[in-house]
Amino acid sequence: MSGVYEGLTVVELADRRNQWAGKLLSDGGARVIQIEPIGGSPGRWCGPFVDDKVDPDRCLDYWWYNTGKQSVVLDVERKPAQDLLKKLLSKADIFLESTPPGTLAKLDLDYAAVADNKALIYASLTDFGQDGPWRDYQMNDASHLALGGQMSSTGYSDPAVTPIGGQGHQSWHMGCAFVLHGITVALFDRMTSGEGQYIDVAIHDVCAIGTEAAVPQWTYYGSTMHRQTGMHANAKRQPPLQLPTADGKYMIAVMQNFGPRVWENLIKWMDEKGVTGELHDPKYQNEAFRMSEYRTGNVVRDAIARLIAANNGEECFHRAQSYGISWGLVHAAEENYDIPHYQQRNYWRSIEHPEIGRTIPYPRGPVACDAIGIEPRRRAPHLGEHTRQVLTQDLGMSDNEIAVLAGSGVIR
Amino acid sequence: MSANIPVNAKIPVRPGVLSGIRVLDFTWKTVGPWAPRLLTHYGAEVIHVERAGGYDDHRVNATPSTVSDNPQPIRLPGTKKVYSDPQFNTVREEPAVAQSPGEKKLYAAPYFNTLHNGKLAISLNTKDPEGRKIVDQLIGKCDALVENFSAEVLPSWGLTWERIHELNPRLVYMSASGFGHTGEWKGYRSFGPTAQAQSGMSLASGLPGKPPAGWGFSYLDVMGGWMGGLALIQGLLKAKQTGKGCYIDYSVTEGAMSMLGTYMLDYQVNGRRTRRPDFPPGNRSIFPAVAPHNTYRCAGKDRNGQDWWVFIACETQAQFESLCGLIGQPNLVSDPRFATNEARVANQDELDAIIGRWTRARRRYDIMRKCQTAGIIAAVVQSAEDRVEYDPQLQHREMHPIINNPEVGGDFPYEGYPVKLSRTPAFVHGRAPTLAEHNQYVYGELLGMSATEIAGLRERGII
Repeated sequence: MSGVYEGLTVVELADRRNQWAGKLLSDGGARVIQIEPIGGSPGRWCGPFVDDKVDPDRCLDYWWYNTGKQSVVLDVERKPAQDLLKKLLSKADIFLESTPPGTLAKLDLDYAAVADNKALIYASLTDFGQDGPWRDYQMNDASHLALGGQMSSTGYSDPAVTPIGGQGHQSWHMGCAFVLHGITVALFDRMTSGEGQYIDVAIHDVCAIGTEAAVPQWTYYGSTMHRQTGMHANAKRQPPLQLPTADGKYMIAVMQNFGPRVWENLIKWMDEKGVTGELHDPKYQNEAFRMSEYRTGNVVRDAIARLIAANNGEECFHRAQSYGISWGLVHAAEENYDIPHYQQRNYWRSIEHPEIGRTIPYPRGPVACDAIGIEPRRRAPHLGEHTRQVLTQDLGMSDNEIAVLAGSGVIR
Repeated sequence: MSANIPVNAKIPVRPGVLSGIRVLDFTWKTVGPWAPRLLTHYGAEVIHVERAGGYDDHRVNATPSTVSDNPQPIRLPGTKKVYSDPQFNTVREEPAVAQSPGEKKLYAAPYFNTLHNGKLAISLNTKDPEGRKIVDQLIGKCDALVENFSAEVLPSWGLTWERIHELNPRLVYMSASGFGHTGEWKGYRSFGPTAQAQSGMSLASGLPGKPPAGWGFSYLDVMGGWMGGLALIQGLLKAKQTGKGCYIDYSVTEGAMSMLGTYMLDYQVNGRRTRRPDFPPGNRSIFPAVAPHNTYRCAGKDRNGQDWWVFIACETQAQFESLCGLIGQPNLVSDPRFATNEARVANQDELDAIIGRWTRARRRYDIMRKCQTAGIIAAVVQSAEDRVEYDPQLQHREMHPIINNPEVGGDFPYEGYPVKLSRTPAFVHGRAPTLAEHNQYVYGELLGMSATEIAGLRERGII
């Protein structure tokens, strides 16, 4: 299969921030050479590990974010390694890096230093971008969700309980989505202009525009959001929409219109479970009335809560959906493996893992599209797996030269 | 790329690196509109289609609108009853169409301005065969078509992928939906929170032993919209490479699952589930296990009486030693409970209590500044107000450009586009289009209809 990034060579300076963008390039057919420090990318050391045994070649987080990449280990603090990296960049299409601003200038590897390669797209994904008063502040994934506003809207209805940031590197994902958007636009332009360019993306900038209603709510109405358990923050407190099911799970009973047909089915279902209560009153046959009550009162909502409490989660989800009601069941990520729908859509990709002697089904890329073709193709590399191959084939180095560098600890 | 643009056509968008790319935008709600909007920042011409006689929901209701205790359904000429967007519990306070001379029209609610700025707007009755013929013509003039209707809608207009491809072999078609357009759930409906729940994203957020905290907004309408925007430009790049269009079946739930890969692999390899008693871990970090790594209560409360918080983390021994100095407890460095990261993780309840006592009576931005000066990860839990009114970094980066839109009361700050390209810079357009503002351009100039033809369409309710 040929992906949208087929034929491109990407040099990625290993970092946990940018590795999803590099993965999508790799999954899209690009050859991604990840430059790792002697001790390996920080992404190899975070865990979880196979059998929980710390091993840089068996970090599952690294496996996921680095499918199909090549690993080249260089100590870029040292001049000979800098020269090698510079040579690689002179032939590369894309450079993806996340070092603190100023770092690469000191190593003579900033954009100006490598811009002789006119076609190079040099993309920096950093915490705050290349300038500004907070440029040099220290951040990690969770701290971005705090500063960017995600936490401020997320948590529990009890105002004394802490705001919450979601797990799973979401601020880095957001940053990667935009740096790759910029890279792809630059590739589009390069097809005509033949020229690359420099791209500066700040994770903080991205997170700050990613809180949906919170900013317009403030700028237009001067309102601050209340955090609400498992649901949208709102300028005004609302009754819960995340409701427990009979089997101890939670339905997200997203609010929506109940037109005549949906309502009829809903009432029949409530009757069946004996929870209809006041909704038998003919006034609820009037759509305007019931919707108004639903939005602002408790009668419809309470009946829905009783209905959900009277059903097991799966049953509730499918029945609601069969009536055109968009409720969702809070699943665990791993539970999706058992759902036929995703199998029917050919969502899982088998990746061979000699480390454990079997294949693992990986999630496909974000979209189903053969032409774009973004999907995991090969396992992540072992530390330094491709150092020699790249130095020999790409840079034309001899075994002797490589041995000297290895002996002095510049490469691994 | 688009062929047959009349020479004298006045393309009403600012030129940019995507000039000449034209997108037919049938999106509504939130997840769909983002994808084409991200192209407007580079000069793509995005034609947002709204139903003749009606309008996009977000024009009038959706996000920021005042909350009322006595909502009234309203009637619009030629449309059925419509309600405010229930997801946000908001209410239309006035009809979209001026009922009497001088009455204020509200054709551009603030959030519409965010989602659709830089686009063109036309009206079209796609229920009518004549209207559908116009859709076919527009498909012939565009490079991409984006929609986030339910799976059955476009086929009900006769627009299967095969038909679309036949009408314009170069066109990229993206459908954004909750569960995709194939598989047994293709008819299932979804909002952002539905996809968050189903994918596993909601469960990965919260305190252990408590109900899921989920996401306090439609993360998958925002990030989901951005991933759609990424797929759209990828599809356009592919079309430029091959001269051939493609179909992108974007399931938002699957997109979210592709951001949870680590958990999937942990389950496959180690049998560890995310549905387990100690997960999610609140704001702590399990992989890697480091401490401290949490939110801490500070002095003061926000306008709603919610406490103010700061996030602090030490990922290195040096950071922890600095923190001990900063909070005036240098002895903690050698305290066996906290001397190593492993010990700190094992004793993080105690450690969090100690740090919390230090932050409790201090101002949040002072804490952040002091920690950061000492090289410690620290971030205020910033609200929208904090970001728009105070955050000096966002101000420096000009992330809240002012857009003037008389229909929503003039100049307001909006959320900008965060990618800075050196040679082909992105830009933010002015306001979102008013209702059917570009009918003349699209029907007259682009499709070459005469004034009489356009008047006829209008009379017949087609546009």
